[in-house]
Amino acid sequence: MNSWLWMVAVLAALLVPLLGVAVRARLLEGVVAMEVGGTMSAIALLLLAEGTNRQPFADLALALAILSFAGSLAFLRFLERAR
Amino acid sequence: MREVVVTALQIATIVLAVLSVAGVVLMRDGLDRLHYTAPMALAGVCAGAAVCVQGGPSLIGTRAILLAAILLGTAPVLAHATARTIHERREREGGA
Repeated sequence: MNSWLWMVAVLAALLVPLLGVAVRARLLEGVVAMEVGGTMSAIALLLLAEGTNRQPFADLALALAILSFAGSLAFLRFLERAR
Repeated sequence: MREVVVTALQIATIVLAVLSVAGVVLMRDGLDRLHYTAPMALAGVCAGAAVCVQGGPSLIGTRAILLAAILLGTAPVLAHATARTIHERREREGGA
């Protein structure tokens, strides 16, 4: 297990407290945790690509970064309208 | 020399990620939590730089640069949109 994969393990472990915030905090504060979690997952996928030397994981990281951004914006738009 | 730079960037990535998560978890207010989304984008830049320094010009390195650019570009937009939504909901709830 190289240093890149150790970093992936640390980032994956850091997702747990964010999940706790997303579940327990108020709605919009959960969205903040979700945004940070999406960014961190994209970084973890990039590091996984480097650690395993498999380029498709880096493509997944790019796709996740873009979709996480679009999904968060859509979620926020919905929350703006919801009462 | 390259190993030292890569290790430093890796450590910076982890430190920034821990700082960001700690801020989001420990802060009480939504707008306070929002401030701690910025270090995560910077962590992405550090991770991308570490990958580029390690592998040089490669397919993964290209993706790393793209990912860093996307994170740097989208993080402020997302923070602004989130802050606006929080503000509008508070005004609505306060006025109701």
